[in-house]
Amino acid sequence: MLSVISYPVFAISILIGLVLSISLFPVGWFEFRPEWLGLLVFYWTFRAPAQFGILWAWGLGLLLDVLESAPLGVNGLAMALIAFLVLTVHQRLRMFPIIQQCLMVFLLLGINQMLVHFIKQVLGSGDSGFSYLWPALSSALLWPIICVVLDGLNRKLG
Amino acid sequence: MHTVRSTIANGLAPAYWLGNAPSQFSGWVAGLFTTRDDLLEENETLNARMLILERRALKYAALASENNELRRLLNSSEVLDDRVIVADVVSVSPDPFSHEVVINKGSRDGVRVGQAILDATGLMGQVLSTSNFTSRVLLISDSSHAVPVEVIRNGLRAILLGSGNISVLELVHVPDTADIREGDLLVSSGLGGRFPKGYPVAEVTGIHKDPGEPFVQIEAAPKAQLNRSDMVLVVFSENQELAHPSRAQDDVPEATGDEVSPGPEEGGTN
Repeated sequence: MLSVISYPVFAISILIGLVLSISLFPVGWFEFRPEWLGLLVFYWTFRAPAQFGILWAWGLGLLLDVLESAPLGVNGLAMALIAFLVLTVHQRLRMFPIIQQCLMVFLLLGINQMLVHFIKQVLGSGDSGFSYLWPALSSALLWPIICVVLDGLNRKLG
Repeated sequence: MHTVRSTIANGLAPAYWLGNAPSQFSGWVAGLFTTRDDLLEENETLNARMLILERRALKYAALASENNELRRLLNSSEVLDDRVIVADVVSVSPDPFSHEVVINKGSRDGVRVGQAILDATGLMGQVLSTSNFTSRVLLISDSSHAVPVEVIRNGLRAILLGSGNISVLELVHVPDTADIREGDLLVSSGLGGRFPKGYPVAEVTGIHKDPGEPFVQIEAAPKAQLNRSDMVLVVFSENQELAHPSRAQDDVPEATGDEVSPGPEEGGTN
């Protein structure tokens, strides 16, 4: 769909994603905080699979680990998993209408959250229940906006 | 591993700074639009308050020297006054299940793992990890946190556990017959060497006695404003450094109390 991508847009979007994942969020809505960095990894591997792949995703996941003070490498692994899954389905994903893309985002980020949650549970923290899936849902609802905004920026600046 | 983490955290300092920028900016804008009258009024109230506090401090100095004298007569060790630095809270943990905050003072300012953090009203938590410019603080309400405390009225010792709820702490291993009432103030006992002695931690709010259980269930409310404080104090406790020179440099803040089972401690350390 996109032939050109803009590296400055990539860098700035990642920086904003990192800031958003630690910036203050209404307390009552804390559980629904979207997985910003996961969304960005999804977008960039989807749009530019030749440039951004598993290694980038792993590095960004490490940054998220430090920000969240999760055990080092948990988010790295989960982000690399997202990148891998996106790389395997990206050609089909391009044909999907936007609703179906949202569903894919929910699925893949859900898998990401599930993996993180599973590792945290094994290590003895985190709680039970399925509330950890809310971020995947809110991210899926945000996907059309992110997609349109970043596509527009890429076209203009790339 | 910790050096890797703290190196990455150094690189991420701009992200923390940007995350805190909106609140700093709004504070700056609010400062621009404060009227002169407001400032004068605030200045007057602050001056009045300072007078009151200074009078109290005068009395306190006399009491402190008297206390030291008595302690010397009793041949017990002297209590040194603790040195503190002021820090700002720049970020709150994005994980709703862990109670952690990030402050804007790091190893460059001498902050080390295990130091106690206070606000104006009580104990807030301890330093979990440091980087050059920031440190991460585990709050006392985190479910993996424990503080050794004593009741200020009669010196009864117990362990105060975090519950995962920001406004409720649990006092554990208190026998059915112990002398404890609602409204009792709990202060840090200094046992375990992690927290300095004598800072207010919580107030008992509820006692539930079940005849079938060996221990009473006691709930306490933290004195510190855990979800509100903007400015915090980092305590440099001389006692702690003298008593445990090696423990101060430990990578992992292990057991804060002596009688606590290792189970709940594990979660917060990784």
